[in-house]
Amino acid sequence: MILLDYHNVVVEETLQPLVSLEATALDSTVVDFDGVVYRISTPTLKTVIRFSLSWQCFNELVKWGANDMLKKYYGPYLCDEVESGYNLTLEFNLKELPEAKEDREELVNKLSLIKRNLLAQPFERAFTQQRQFEDENQPDPTPDLMQIQYREQEAIYIQAQHDRVTVIFSTLFKEETDKIFGKVFLQEFVDARRRPAIQNAPQVLYSNKEPPLEIRHLPELQSLGDNEEIGYVTFGQH
Amino acid sequence: MSRLPPVIMDNGTGYTKLGFAGNNAPSFVFPTAIATRDSSSKRGIEDLDFFIGNEAISNSKTYGLHFPIRHGQIENWDYMERFWEQSIFKYLRCEPEDHYFLLTEPPLNAPENREQTAEIMFESFNIQGLYIAVQAVLALAASWTSKETKDYVLTGTVIDSGDGVTHVIPVVEGYVIGSSIKHIPIAGRDITYFVQQLLRDRNENIPKEESLKVAEKIKEQFSYVCPDIVKEFQRYDQEGDKFFQKYKGVNSVTGTPYEVDVGFERFLGPEIFFNPEIASSDFLTPIPEVVDNVIQSCPIDTRRGLYKNIVLSGGSTMFKGFDKRLQRDIKRLVDLRVRRSEELSGGLLKATAVDVNVVSHKRQRYAVWYGGSLLGQTSEFYSYCHSKAEYEEHGPSICRHNRVFGSLKT
Repeated sequence: MILLDYHNVVVEETLQPLVSLEATALDSTVVDFDGVVYRISTPTLKTVIRFSLSWQCFNELVKWGANDMLKKYYGPYLCDEVESGYNLTLEFNLKELPEAKEDREELVNKLSLIKRNLLAQPFERAFTQQRQFEDENQPDPTPDLMQIQYREQEAIYIQAQHDRVTVIFSTLFKEETDKIFGKVFLQEFVDARRRPAIQNAPQVLYSNKEPPLEIRHLPELQSLGDNEEIGYVTFGQH
Repeated sequence: MSRLPPVIMDNGTGYTKLGFAGNNAPSFVFPTAIATRDSSSKRGIEDLDFFIGNEAISNSKTYGLHFPIRHGQIENWDYMERFWEQSIFKYLRCEPEDHYFLLTEPPLNAPENREQTAEIMFESFNIQGLYIAVQAVLALAASWTSKETKDYVLTGTVIDSGDGVTHVIPVVEGYVIGSSIKHIPIAGRDITYFVQQLLRDRNENIPKEESLKVAEKIKEQFSYVCPDIVKEFQRYDQEGDKFFQKYKGVNSVTGTPYEVDVGFERFLGPEIFFNPEIASSDFLTPIPEVVDNVIQSCPIDTRRGLYKNIVLSGGSTMFKGFDKRLQRDIKRLVDLRVRRSEELSGGLLKATAVDVNVVSHKRQRYAVWYGGSLLGQTSEFYSYCHSKAEYEEHGPSICRHNRVFGSLKT
């Protein structure tokens, strides 16, 4: 194992022309974890760089408010016409970029973090809702159970409750050995909280075969018997 | 879910080229180096504490630097596994269980190495499928872009010249003729040293510690191959101002700018391929002669094909005019031989002219990687791969043999 960076190094390096402002012909397809595919190309002019992203859970993320984030961070570059086969297209004209080099470096950095930012959206939404619960002056929201099917058979469920935010990772291990490793690892994860140093950490629970109560009513879970469920609870004070 | 692009990894002695199939250039090119901490700290995480590539080089003061590949072959499997681990997760950021992989191997690689590679790839990384291709064959495939579809042949002579050594490798229908491979101890590094020597002899005003770097820059920016060395000297003498160039540098320590005159070394550098005697005293065969010897040592029915498709690969074949000079010199040797045999037969035999063709293309520098990228994006690629299921059924020994591309066509 290694400690991984948050940003995508390939995207950062391929988009260097945005910093140096050198017009070069680009056309490359790169991937990121969880089946994200990016395409960076210069289809018409060398000075116009197109950056597209495809992710199978993109529409779900949009449903939970990803568009606001996109508008906020990437607003001026969003393209209405989305490249076919992709979910999101940004376009950059080298002549219309910010003057200062630091700003352009910042932009490239933001782009290499786009996947993280997208996935953070539902979490942020849940945290805001939870804060509303705590705030006496505001009416209680009706939080929805947000489902993000980020891989074929694996999903994240997020729900805000009045005293906590529950995050459930539903993962599937295909192989027998992996299942056992998974189980050992998860048990270790649960037990780790007993150590005095991390007693205040949010509680982690896991269940095997039996989905946790929060998502038991979902129809698609009835058929999938082998999903390993990890319940992960964040308390309000965090 | 649509298939994610296969990962192409070309691990060479000096540099590793990483990227995804379908792209025109590798996403990463960095030294095949790994920096580890040797001290036995008690924290139990020392196997996480390492760097690869450029980061390894810059951390070499506090870490031990290792080069897991020597002479094209993997020497330290433990380091190599960790090198792959970081290249996949940290740099390419892909989940290996979702991708097919194309790796490369040098010609004459032992099948045991393939087994070992397969074991690491399937057991540790749990990849979907694996194909191990011979570098020379990929270099041939990379030259396809410049030609018509019907000329997609896997027969030809590959001249692969990198930094350390130059190989001449004959490939017939996708198979390397191992007994005819020749190595030439002249490559990029030797040209750089030679240029450095020339500059030093002329007493150019270069800071000592930068002389190698300057020589390298001059080699890359100004060098070319001339058709005739004597005439080139005359041209420089008569209209020097047209040919002499200036290299501008800045002293990295003091920050003062300086200028270097660039003269004959522009064409003398790459000339050591064609007249090795000007630089070395232990290897004296010019490259056209080596190529000719290699082809002559191959089976007689393959030779025409080998002459017809001489493919260049590697950074040291990028000099302007290299292809034309090589083609002309080989053609000369061949024509001479044909004429001699006609004379010896007393005019009874007439041979059809032998077609000599040196192929040069835009992607020459990373030709091996690019060839892999081309093959990896075809739909047939998946049928040539050994899949995870096959591996589990038969064990690592299935990866001893990798089917030749094109062999499945009817």
